[in-house]
Formats: sequence, structure tokens, C-alpha cells
Amino acid sequence: MIHIQGLKKTLNQKRVLDGVHLKIEEGETLVIMGPSGTGKSVLLKHIVGLMDPDEGDVLVDGISVANAGRKEIQQVRERVSYVFQNSALFDSLTIRGNIMLGLPEDRCAQRDDVCEGLVRESLTHVNLEPEVLTLRPAELSGGMQKRVAIARAIVGRQKYILYDEPTTGLDPVNAAVITDLIDHVSHDIEGTTVIVTHDVEAAFTLGDRIVLLSNGRIRAEGTPEQLRHTEDAAVRRFLSPSSFVEVA
Amino acid sequence: MTSVSETAAEPQRGGPLPALGRRALAGVQHAGRAGRLWWAATASLVEPRRYWRESVAQAKRIGVDGLGLVLLMGALSGSVMAQQTSYQLNPGLPMSLVAGGVVAGMLTELGPVLTAIVLAGRVGAGIGAELGTMKVTDQIDALLTLGRDPVVELVVPRVVAGTIIIVPLVILANGIGIFSGWLTAIAILPMTTAEYVQGARSYYHSAALIFSLVKALAFGFTISFIASYVGLRAEGGAAGVGRTATRAVVAIIVAIMVLDVVLAPVYKAVS
Repeated sequence: MIHIQGLKKTLNQKRVLDGVHLKIEEGETLVIMGPSGTGKSVLLKHIVGLMDPDEGDVLVDGISVANAGRKEIQQVRERVSYVFQNSALFDSLTIRGNIMLGLPEDRCAQRDDVCEGLVRESLTHVNLEPEVLTLRPAELSGGMQKRVAIARAIVGRQKYILYDEPTTGLDPVNAAVITDLIDHVSHDIEGTTVIVTHDVEAAFTLGDRIVLLSNGRIRAEGTPEQLRHTEDAAVRRFLSPSSFVEVA
Repeated sequence: MTSVSETAAEPQRGGPLPALGRRALAGVQHAGRAGRLWWAATASLVEPRRYWRESVAQAKRIGVDGLGLVLLMGALSGSVMAQQTSYQLNPGLPMSLVAGGVVAGMLTELGPVLTAIVLAGRVGAGIGAELGTMKVTDQIDALLTLGRDPVVELVVPRVVAGTIIIVPLVILANGIGIFSGWLTAIAILPMTTAEYVQGARSYYHSAALIFSLVKALAFGFTISFIASYVGLRAEGGAAGVGRTATRAVVAIIVAIMVLDVVLAPVYKAVS
């Protein structure tokens, strides 16, 4: 379980997170939504220890991320994988090299054939052909790069997968394909999935539970069904697909 | 816990005194961060299997990138040294002093310093821009989340390669400079090969060569380390990467010149 406890963070004199409390249960798909600049990605980065909180903590299976030393943070990162908004693939490596980075460092040095099998299996999960393995990221489309990033995130079989704006920058067709893919991957690997997005349609398709962040705090929380019937006018306004206005 | 992705802007208020204070504070913070990076890189050196392959690749790249320009600058500076030294000689002084001037100038100053400045422009800017791009496109954060250490994967190979590969480049620059000095001497100065060789021999002593190579090592480390440090601090998209590359080159050149000034009395004391 991931337990976020009173997380506070200020960046550039702006309070981005203002005491966020959240529990992410094992096996669930949680979608974190909210207008731009409300701290969704910042929250995600705290889970994997890319940022230090000003106050509060994140516990990943009981490991305190805020107080983690080198060894503890390594343990957290062995459990959590992260799909970045812009894929963050390494230009100098082939697709095979990029996906292999998702496996523990010494694993491939010992059993090359096993690693190759895992790489190909992860590629199958994201509907890519083995022919792409020898290509470089620049030779792939944005949608394919996103799939490779997902393959890299699932190849190590981590327990938790965090997606940061997985459909941003993609055309509607590719966005739908990626949403579908995340749905399948979540079911296939039976892990815990946390998705940050402001794509309302994707959120309602994927989420077992949806959290709406506003001004650094949780404004609303519930199942898609509960949020659909919320009485909160500001939440209703945000969830209507055509409006992405700041929640009052 | 390492926090590569965090940025925090300082408030910009007040007159010159607070501005000076902010600059001083920023300087101290940079020194602290650079010290931490240096320590992390040094601590990683004990595991060469994790970086030697990439170090060899980087050394090839740096060597190939810099070689042509280093040779050209070496040749031109040797020729200039020969001509300028001859113009300064009073009538009656032996022309063999020209060779002494070329050898002294190339070994102790021009060879290492010009090579370092060439590498600052080509390699320093390249490393700064490359790591800067990786930083602003989340590749550094991606490495961290994948359980990899960016210091071991990116910084150490570049610093090791940059520190080592500059040595043969400086040797080549020294050699070609002394050679072009000879060519200039026999082609346009009233001087024979025998005079040049005699002058070069009478000046040459191994301390000068060792000093040249020590300087090369110090400059090579400075170039690759500062470029890596500045690259890892990049922020602000494509424009930020451009600024990072410029910042890296400026910082490296200033550092090289300061180091040059500091090392000069060391040479005098040792030799």
C-alpha cells in the first residue's frame, strides 16, 4: 500500500501541495485529476522519491520515502515504476537497451536469454513487434515511444506503476489506444496503478477510484460513479469534458 | 535522498547589498553541490566494471571530436611563437633561443591551455548540452526511477574519459607546435635545423613535460566535471539547454585560466 501523509511542498514561492492525505490500496487503479499546476505530477514524484517534501511523508509498503537512505530508496524504486509524460527514452540506446533498463542492473549480465525473453514479453503487452527492438527512439512515432515507455515500466514486474499524463501530446486516436493499453496492462499484470491525467474520459475509463486535486488539496474523492453524481458544482464543472477551468 | 528534479527560484528583491548576498549564497550552494557531485563521482570510481565501457566510448568521442582542432591550434600557435620570439630577440643573441621559446611556450602554456580551450568549446558545450537535454526531458529522473545512478551512468564515464584523453591530445598539440615552430624557423626565419634542434634541446627538461601533462590532467578533469555539473543543473526546455551549454563553456574557460594562474608558481617551485 502507498500511504501519503500530510504532504506539503512549496515550489517557486507557491504552495503546490498543501497537506495531501491519501491511501492507495493494492490492486486498485487510482486516477489523480486536477487543473494544470495543482501538483499532480509533484505528488507522483514524491511517491518515487524524486522530490523531498517540506512536510509529511509517503510510505511505500511501510518504507518512509521522506526519510529514506540510499538503500531504502532503492527498495522503493524496485517496487515502483514510472512512465514519464514525454516518455523519457534514452536517445543513445536502442529500444532493446531502453527496455532492458527496466530490469535490475545485474540480472541481464548473468542471464541474457532470460532478459531477452522478458523484453519481448513486455513488447507483446504493448502491442509492438520485435522488429522495433533494434531501432532508436527517434525512429518511432510519439504513440510508439509511449508504448516503449510502458514496456520499460512493466518489464521489471514492479508492484506499482505510476503514469504521469500518459495521453498528453498524443492525437485523440493514439490517446485512446494508450488508454486502452493501460487498461489492458493493469489487468494483465495485476499491479497497482496510479495515473495522473486531466483527460476526463481516460480517467473515467481507467479509474477504480478518482481523486480530484485543487489548490494543493484533495477536493473530491470517490469511484467514477460517485464523482459523476457529486453535488459539488466546481467538481461537476471540472469533470465536464469541455471545461478545464481552475476549481474554485 | 537525491533530488535531481527540484528547482527553487530565489526571490529577487532589494538593492545591491541583498543582490550581492544572494550571489554569494548561490556561490556557496554551487560549491556545496559540486562538492557533493565530486564526492559521489569519486566514491563510484571503486567499481570500474560499471563505467569503463562507457568511458572508452566517451574517450573515443572526445578524442575524435577534438583532435582536428587541437592539431590546427597547436600548429598555428607553434608558428606564431617562433615568429614572435624571433622578433623580440636583440641583434647578436643566438637564434637558437627561438626554439627555446617555442618549446617553453608550447609545453608549459600553449599546448595544455589551448587544447583545454578547444575542448571547452567542443566537448564541454557538448557534454553540457547533452546532459542538459537529458535533464529537461526527464531522462535523468527516469534513470533514478529505474534504480540507476546518473553519477555512475553519465558523469563518471565522461569525467574519466575527459581527464584521460586530454593527455594524448596535449602531447600531440605540443609535438605539432614544436614541429610547426621548426617549419616556420627554417622557412621564414634566418635559422637552420641544427640551431633549432640545439635550442630546443638546451631548453627541454623533463619537468616541463611533466608539468604540461599534469596541467592536461587538471584541465581535462575541470572541463568534463564542470560540463557535467552544469548540464545536470539545466532547466527550462530547449532555451534552457542552450543557456546551459553557454554557461558550461564560460565556467570552464574561467576555471581553466584561474587554474593556470594557480599552477604557474607550483611549476616554478618544483622545477
